[in-house]
Amino acid sequence: MSDGSDLSDGSDKSGGNDMRDRCDTGGSNRQHPHPHPPPHPDPLVAYTEALGAALLGPARAKTRMLAEIHDGLLDATDAYVQEGLPRTEAAHRAVRDFGPVAVLAPECQRELTVAQTRHTACAAALCAPFLLVCWALARTAVGPSAAPLALLATVSTLLAAFTLATTGGVLARRFPVPRTLPRMVAWTGTGASVGMAVAALALACTAFMTAQWPLLAPAGALAAVSHAVLSTSARVSRRRLAPAAALSEREPGSLTG
Amino acid sequence: MKTEAVRGHLDGLLLAVLEPGPLHGYAIITAVQERSGGALELRTGTVYPALKRLERLGLLAGDWQSTGERRRRCYTLTDAGRRTLAEERTAWREFTEAIGAVLDTPARPARIRPAT
Repeated sequence: MSDGSDLSDGSDKSGGNDMRDRCDTGGSNRQHPHPHPPPHPDPLVAYTEALGAALLGPARAKTRMLAEIHDGLLDATDAYVQEGLPRTEAAHRAVRDFGPVAVLAPECQRELTVAQTRHTACAAALCAPFLLVCWALARTAVGPSAAPLALLATVSTLLAAFTLATTGGVLARRFPVPRTLPRMVAWTGTGASVGMAVAALALACTAFMTAQWPLLAPAGALAAVSHAVLSTSARVSRRRLAPAAALSEREPGSLTG
Repeated sequence: MKTEAVRGHLDGLLLAVLEPGPLHGYAIITAVQERSGGALELRTGTVYPALKRLERLGLLAGDWQSTGERRRRCYTLTDAGRRTLAEERTAWREFTEAIGAVLDTPARPARIRPAT
């Protein structure tokens, strides 16, 4: 099932090492202080681990994707064993059929980047109401200077809605995912989370100075909690921005766009 | 057909083999290879992210199912997937007819205009 080039360069070991090298230079600027551990003796596990090391994304989505690929490798190995091959050779052939990790990883990363973008957009959409509550409370305390909070909440909500609509379902089938969308979502999420932090601090100070505890202290706590949720998602999303460059305007094999 | 040529049509192939009923990832791969008579070269690993993308677009519905000791994610064609498959078939027929009309037409002898 593989072409000649796969046979020469697509083994589990070379594919895995190629991918790790590629990602260290092209996918992330972070330097790993420790050398990579030796590949797992089981070729299927080694392939899945090499792929996992090359991918960044929401932990749950990544785990599911890797589990499904590992299951697929097991199925392919079983099929070759049934044809009469020894299990080790069958496993190596299954890995070779799957293609080099360097080829598969960008395809997987594209989906994980979209998943991360949707995750951040959901967090932004859920946190926006808290931002609006903060704005309403801050307006009574500090006046028109609280306006940026309302603006941030509106922008976050609109971008979150746009993101969720264009990365899944009907609209996503008709229009390609905008190339800059993951970056926009990451930075808007960052802006909203900073806004939350400012609001939480302002509300806590105002509550302390005006002694309006029943009203302001819970709002400050809400802002702090929602800031924690959104800032985590936005931070993770920013770290995924380098792979977001792989999010082409027209996805390969796509029926739409 | 070479891997890169197949890659551009991967989504349509996946939707087509799921038309008769739900299949899990590896069964989808073998179905594509069997229906093509082994003529299509496929990097089988790329099928899995493609399935994820089609699921996100609402063309497939995925569901984990237990078969024996192993859990597998089975994919079913949705109504939107069936409509997209029909559109893809129409587009493919129009494309092949147009290309075929050009390729299959015997070349006319070139007219040589005498120099004046």
